[in-house]
Amino acid sequence: MTILQRIKNKVRARSIHVAYVDVGSCNGCDIEVLACLAPRYDIEQYGIFVHNNPREADVLLVIGAYTPGWEEKLAMVWEKIPDPKAAVAIGNCPISGCVFNRRETFIDPPVRKHIPIAAEVPGCPPRPTEILQAILSVRDSVFANWEAEHP
Amino acid sequence: MKRTVDVNIPLGPIHPCFKEPARLKCEAKGERIVSAEVELGYMKKGIERIMKGRPWQEVMFLAERVCGICSVIHNMVFIEAMEQISGISVPPRAANLRVIANELDRMQSHLLANFSYCYTIEHETLGMYLLDLREQVMDELERLTGARVTCAYIIPGGVRCDILPENAELLQASLDRIERDLRRYAGMFADGPMIALRSRGVGILTPEAAQRAHAVGPTARASGITIDCRVNHPTYQKLGFVPVSRTDCDNYARIMVRFDEVAQSISLIRKSLQDLPAGIIRGGGICKAGETRYSGEAPRGELTYFIKSDEFGRILEIQIQTPSIMNIEACCHEMIIGVDSIADVTSTFVSSDPCIACTER
Amino acid sequence: MTSYLYEKDLVPQKYRILVANRHDALVRGIARELDIPVQELRKYLIEHLDMMLLENLPARAEMADAHADRDDPLARALGREKYTLYLKILPDVTMEHIFREVSDRVHAGSATEDALAYGRVRILEELRR
Repeated sequence: MTILQRIKNKVRARSIHVAYVDVGSCNGCDIEVLACLAPRYDIEQYGIFVHNNPREADVLLVIGAYTPGWEEKLAMVWEKIPDPKAAVAIGNCPISGCVFNRRETFIDPPVRKHIPIAAEVPGCPPRPTEILQAILSVRDSVFANWEAEHP
Repeated sequence: MKRTVDVNIPLGPIHPCFKEPARLKCEAKGERIVSAEVELGYMKKGIERIMKGRPWQEVMFLAERVCGICSVIHNMVFIEAMEQISGISVPPRAANLRVIANELDRMQSHLLANFSYCYTIEHETLGMYLLDLREQVMDELERLTGARVTCAYIIPGGVRCDILPENAELLQASLDRIERDLRRYAGMFADGPMIALRSRGVGILTPEAAQRAHAVGPTARASGITIDCRVNHPTYQKLGFVPVSRTDCDNYARIMVRFDEVAQSISLIRKSLQDLPAGIIRGGGICKAGETRYSGEAPRGELTYFIKSDEFGRILEIQIQTPSIMNIEACCHEMIIGVDSIADVTSTFVSSDPCIACTER
Repeated sequence: MTSYLYEKDLVPQKYRILVANRHDALVRGIARELDIPVQELRKYLIEHLDMMLLENLPARAEMADAHADRDDPLARALGREKYTLYLKILPDVTMEHIFREVSDRVHAGSATEDALAYGRVRILEELRR
């Protein structure tokens, strides 16, 4: 790795933009993601900036159990995110469908059938600290040595 | 119908200001909104269909997950509807504890709604203050029920766990702190000249329009309609509850009504802590067959469950009418019309505290 | 209704809203009153109303029962405000026109029932146009 690549890696890992997309949850995970913004958890001290715009995002937080309204739209959102990128599934819903995955339901979990998921945070809902930890772990595994893996 | 339209602006489903996906199609003449439509379908999980034929023990948890923000009231209304069907009475101590949990939930929901509004009008400082205040309320909710969100605290014939004496003291102290901060932040909002520019006179919802769309909760109370299901609830009647209302009909009034209600919730919690009767918290009972319509006041307004159950306590038919259905409808078909710019569309939409998860279920 | 090139077909999702218990009862009630096949009325509603209004139909109908045209029995029987202001099925101008025709008939001496039946046929014609 050249020195330039090393600097790039370092900078990338220190400035993560996050977009979140709700594909059919109960809202409980949404507000826990919002709680990460609060001064108590202070997501911005890690260089993570939550701005709900996929075109400038690095990490996509996927919340919810994939409802029919998102067919093809979620994939479109995923394509709009520039590389390097990672998707994190928040809560039980994107992993298994949680309580909604029963007879007569409309949902189609898991979300990893539809877009590649880098990390999953189980919980109904997970605590803000767990969400924060997942984003940080993705940062270390995806962004910190991106230049070496993609020369 | 033929309409003269300049621009057609779709907002969403993913939008920096919206917490949840909804698609707002605005038709504008210049920048003035002529008409708006909301298309949903991004959150439809079919909860009512899942609930059918399941025992109340399962439906109770599903009911909570209709909406994560106001989960306590969904739990409470469903359980009280089942209690009404089966003739189960609640011990007085449990009734007061229910009020405490419900009011804490209302406080956090209103603070979150006001945070969203401040964030949308780009007043991030006040937004962060409110979000920080909300964390303190969440702490109290967690200390009382054991979970931050979806806590399943209320069960037929009582509540799940008692409040410990030391926790009651902590709650009292925390309420004092929250009230002091809240007064300051509400004052900041009330007197802020920039906030007034973005909020006063924007998004007018006339009382007649509010009535036609069956608007409920703070959205209706900001238009001078004093409907509040809490006045019919026996425990609230005992606590001497009187609903707050304002007559300005604009965004500013809706946010201020929420601030007033948070202050009111604090005094309700204080009062129910003071009069907390000694005794058991679980009376027990058996869920039976029957049919009922039961309403409770969610943070966003009147929440109604239409339930039909069989003799084993299984749910045969259920329909949930959540407050957001009426409020978002009133918002997009009455409030937004005539708003002067696209920036005000988002802030007006957020001021009605939309919850798409409730709306679609 | 505005249609967009890049939007998927919303008809199945709107249909799902309309077949929920209370919505279904309401739609069947209106269909009985106007003597129109249920499926045809559903099609009309899906084409003319947006999803939010469809969700809110039962609440609006409830308010219409309580408040619409309280001081005019003829207008209430015809559903003048119910179908325009509350349920937004018909445009105001059309409904005003129909109502004037009906009240003219009543003043001319025809029985209220017949005039109302005529009014409903006119509403049906407007819906089918």
